[in-house]
Amino acid sequence: MHYAHFLRSRKPIWDEFEESLERARGRQNPSHEALEKLAFRYRQVLHDHALAASRYPETGAARRLERLALDGTHWLQWDRPPRGGGLGGFFRHRFPAVFRRFLPHLAVVAFLFLGALFLGLSLTVVQPQVGVALLGPDKVEDLRRGHLWTEALTTTIPPAVSTSVIATNNMSVALTTWAGGALAGLGTLYVVLLNGFLLGAVLGATMPYGLDGELLTFIAAHGPLEISLILVCSAAGLALGRAVVAASDRPRAEVVQETGRDAFALLLGCLPWFVVLGLVEGFVSPAPTVPVPVKIALGASLLALFLAVALGPGARRSEDAYE
Amino acid sequence: MPSSKIMAARPPRKEDVEPSHEILFALDNIPLDLPIARAASRVVSGFLDYLILIVLALLWTVTVLLLLDWSGTARIIILLVVGYFLLEYGYFAVVEVATGGRSFGKWTMGLTVVTRRGGRPPTTALLLRNAVRSVDLLVGIPLMLLDPLARRLGDRLAGTLVVHVRRSDEWVLHRVPRGWGARELAVLESFLRRVPDLEPERSQRMAQRLLACIERDDPDLLRGAPAAGDPVERLRQAVSAEKL
Repeated sequence: MHYAHFLRSRKPIWDEFEESLERARGRQNPSHEALEKLAFRYRQVLHDHALAASRYPETGAARRLERLALDGTHWLQWDRPPRGGGLGGFFRHRFPAVFRRFLPHLAVVAFLFLGALFLGLSLTVVQPQVGVALLGPDKVEDLRRGHLWTEALTTTIPPAVSTSVIATNNMSVALTTWAGGALAGLGTLYVVLLNGFLLGAVLGATMPYGLDGELLTFIAAHGPLEISLILVCSAAGLALGRAVVAASDRPRAEVVQETGRDAFALLLGCLPWFVVLGLVEGFVSPAPTVPVPVKIALGASLLALFLAVALGPGARRSEDAYE
Repeated sequence: MPSSKIMAARPPRKEDVEPSHEILFALDNIPLDLPIARAASRVVSGFLDYLILIVLALLWTVTVLLLLDWSGTARIIILLVVGYFLLEYGYFAVVEVATGGRSFGKWTMGLTVVTRRGGRPPTTALLLRNAVRSVDLLVGIPLMLLDPLARRLGDRLAGTLVVHVRRSDEWVLHRVPRGWGARELAVLESFLRRVPDLEPERSQRMAQRLLACIERDDPDLLRGAPAAGDPVERLRQAVSAEKL
């Protein structure tokens, strides 16, 4: 077919397709007839694009057809995931399913965290200079005087301020450990080991001054859930890293995408809890008026609530559906 | 050989041999090229977005400081901390979800996010590709340079690509000089498309060379066109060129 003839005979179709596409883009819900016509024209444009690309490459017609074919593909193909029943459905089905899927990874990061905690604790007990190096001489001097640095949370910083700072900081740590997993798991391992080591070292540094009990009391209300959430996000990160590194019988790109989606669901399920934790850490943990048993009970209840959601009755059913 | 003089003899470039395009198969197995955005345009687009982010952060700071008096220092700190956090983690995700994959930087550079099949990415994919942005600030550029599809970490996780959105300023010829093939047509149409960007003297010189080629290969085509005047306009009339 002659180029000029090709243009003359096909250009009205391209114009019509472009107009229909513009109209469809402007509407919220295009009619069935309009969509059907658009799909038909899209097919014609695709065929013309194939012809132009092979017989008249790089010409104006070929370039326009390439643009139209791409625009049409972009608009007509929308990879929407199946509806998951909103927020309630997410926490009832999707979140428990991915939580169960990542339980082996959670066991690994928990083991690493505890190992690093024990290392930090024993190192600081044996070598107190490690505690000085980590906390700084000023805070160690405060410990010598019998004061924990956490007292500043009640004396110098208003609870509302510390709540916002703590909540955003915890979310940043969770996002970092999660995203760090994409670096072959190295970022996640760094965050898990560092946090475990720091917690152990800080605990070890307070022991010679008899303030370890006070420190444990301080973290009793928020610590169990906070550490659990960080570890859950780390488990998701580790799973990401494993998908990037480990070979399987499926294409790596496919495995990485699937694990990425699941790991992201796990992260999304954890983030709201950090807001609750920020409130507890800002208002309850540093409050001397709240009795220690209440703090312990609150910490245990929060962790139990989280686990109830993550391992709730819907978990097994949703896991089956997921599989 | 007709019009061979207008085709500058040059050795094939790397991009001629290995186009940086992802070919996907659309309906009826028709191959469709995705014009992949390379690292350079991605970096410029990201730079523009971060500029916007800085401006937004400054605006937020000024707004909070102006609206709240200094007696409410605690409230100021809370609003600033939460605002910065939301901007840092939310700007890209919210803008891309709202626009279907075009942040301000991408819009300026004519880029958009698509799925591997060229379709519209789902919201989850847009959120996911932006959740690892902090890590991509470290490794994103090397990854884009090494990957033939210029994907950063976020793109790999979300299964997305960033492509160029073509402008609609094509010129087509309704009269084709005898013996001219697709390459000659492409040169002529490409010239007409680029005329507004060329220096007038240079464009007129090139138009005269093209007219000379047409006169040699198909003199009948120039009969209707005026002999004098702007050579670019004469060329357009000779081949009945129009904007597509």
